[in-house]
Amino acid sequence: MITKEDIENIALLSKLFVPEEELDALREDMQGIIDFADTINNADIEGVEFDNIAGLSNQFREDVVVESLSVEEILKNAPDQAQDHFLVRKRA
Amino acid sequence: MKYELVAGFETHIELATKTKIFCSCTTEFGGDPNTHCCPVCIGLPGTLPKLNRKVVDYAIMAGLATNCEIARVSKMDRKNYCYPDLPKAYQISQFDKPLCEHGYVELSTGKKIRLARIHIEEDAGKLIHKKGDTYVDYNRGGVPLIEIVSEPDIRSIDEAKEYVEKLQQVMRYIGISDCKMQEGSMRCDVNISVRPVGSDTFGTRTEIKNMNSITNIAKAMEYEFERQCDLLESGGKVIQETLRYDDATGETSSMRGKEDAHDYRYFRDPDLVTILLTDEEIEAVKNSLPELPTEKAKRYVEEFAITDKDAQNLTKYRRISEYFDKASEGLKNPKTVANFMIGQIFSRLATEADKEIFDIKTTPEQLRELVKLIEDGKIKNNLAKTTLDKMLESGKGAMDFISEDDMGGVDEGALTEFCKAAIEANPNAVADYKGGKEKALMALLGNVMKQSRGKADAAQVTAKLKELIG
Ligand SMILES: [Zn+2]
Repeated sequence: MITKEDIENIALLSKLFVPEEELDALREDMQGIIDFADTINNADIEGVEFDNIAGLSNQFREDVVVESLSVEEILKNAPDQAQDHFLVRKRA
Repeated sequence: MKYELVAGFETHIELATKTKIFCSCTTEFGGDPNTHCCPVCIGLPGTLPKLNRKVVDYAIMAGLATNCEIARVSKMDRKNYCYPDLPKAYQISQFDKPLCEHGYVELSTGKKIRLARIHIEEDAGKLIHKKGDTYVDYNRGGVPLIEIVSEPDIRSIDEAKEYVEKLQQVMRYIGISDCKMQEGSMRCDVNISVRPVGSDTFGTRTEIKNMNSITNIAKAMEYEFERQCDLLESGGKVIQETLRYDDATGETSSMRGKEDAHDYRYFRDPDLVTILLTDEEIEAVKNSLPELPTEKAKRYVEEFAITDKDAQNLTKYRRISEYFDKASEGLKNPKTVANFMIGQIFSRLATEADKEIFDIKTTPEQLRELVKLIEDGKIKNNLAKTTLDKMLESGKGAMDFISEDDMGGVDEGALTEFCKAAIEANPNAVADYKGGKEKALMALLGNVMKQSRGKADAAQVTAKLKELIG
């Protein structure tokens, strides 16, 4: 059972602001999503090995250095930058 | 009331791989900001992490060296939290299927500090805070770490220090990390609580972060132990919280803002596939491990009749023990090598760092040659000692300082002559000896040794002197 407090907590962890009047509606939506996902719990997995969905395992890289990107390239999509660093500004 | 300390450690160790854990960027320390980065390690959408095989091997080595069971099936999980040092807003770590579990580190008392687990994960970026703004450098982001989690088995500051030293020693021996606390390649968090002596329940614990040396770990634990005891004595309660140790004041203080009950919402990283290990693979890693310091020390004591303390000194750093192993190869009495190393060679190495580097001019082969001369009865200990000093100064071999004549030994006639001369030159010592001072003979012995240039046998000389003085 999803409670209003659960919604508030998830919002906090996700750094989202949710107005009080939207909490009930979101709670109902979330309950629906969780109920839907719960059908997975009812799936019969008797005898199914612990593995990932694609059935793949042991995809490894060798420990060999490849040249990194230039700092210009790395910072190209940064929302803000200064002195070759990503910059997170003080919140107003 | 008397209180007992209860502590456990979480230790992060940076692995000495060439590349990061999920991409091929270099792990080299330093470098200009954000120059060791690529789309994977700055967390751009659509990139695919791929696990570095070496990270798995190094973690298995760490596990085997600390008596862990190695998981045949393991996987990577996402640990979600939002902070600028994590570009993806999650850290790829391991949650319920760590690579290694149920190990232990044995202290010199024989006590075992149990390890709950060792898992692999990625390091975060470096943050520089300036005037409220935060500058982010992701060079360190994605560098491979192992986290070693101990059970709360530690009961004293001394045990804590030895535990950290032992971990450091073992990890350096197997070569998976340089474990430099000052540079951050080894970082310790300690969980600490107190309880009345004799109690078998745990008190409320606090976690101390930010300690960059073993000395600071000891100081921080001491401070925190006293603080908790005082709090309980005065009727207060310990609050579960994360503390920061301040090197300058020697005090711990609360790290506000980190207190909200964390919910990391761990879930499997769907981008990374299962790690499956076979018995053969684990066996191969086991065979590649060098002999570990504890085993080595035991062997030295048992096989070479070296004292426990000397064995500890010889195995403290890998280079020293390797030097000793090489120098004593094929010798009848490796103990002689040990004595020369701990005495004359160690006295030239002033600091622990010097001992660890163990940079000396004399090669193990040269030391072996010198000791062989003693074993073959060609030279006496005294001559060997002075010769070793010259060897250590110059890097030259023993035979550069010892002549054929030196190795001839001293015949009976010459010995008698030397003794007579010594007696003649030291009437006072002779009188003292006759007056009952055994020690006075040392002056005469020294004189004979000088005349014979260290070739004479001390026991023989003493007997001869006594005979002549009568
Ligand atoms: Zn990268």
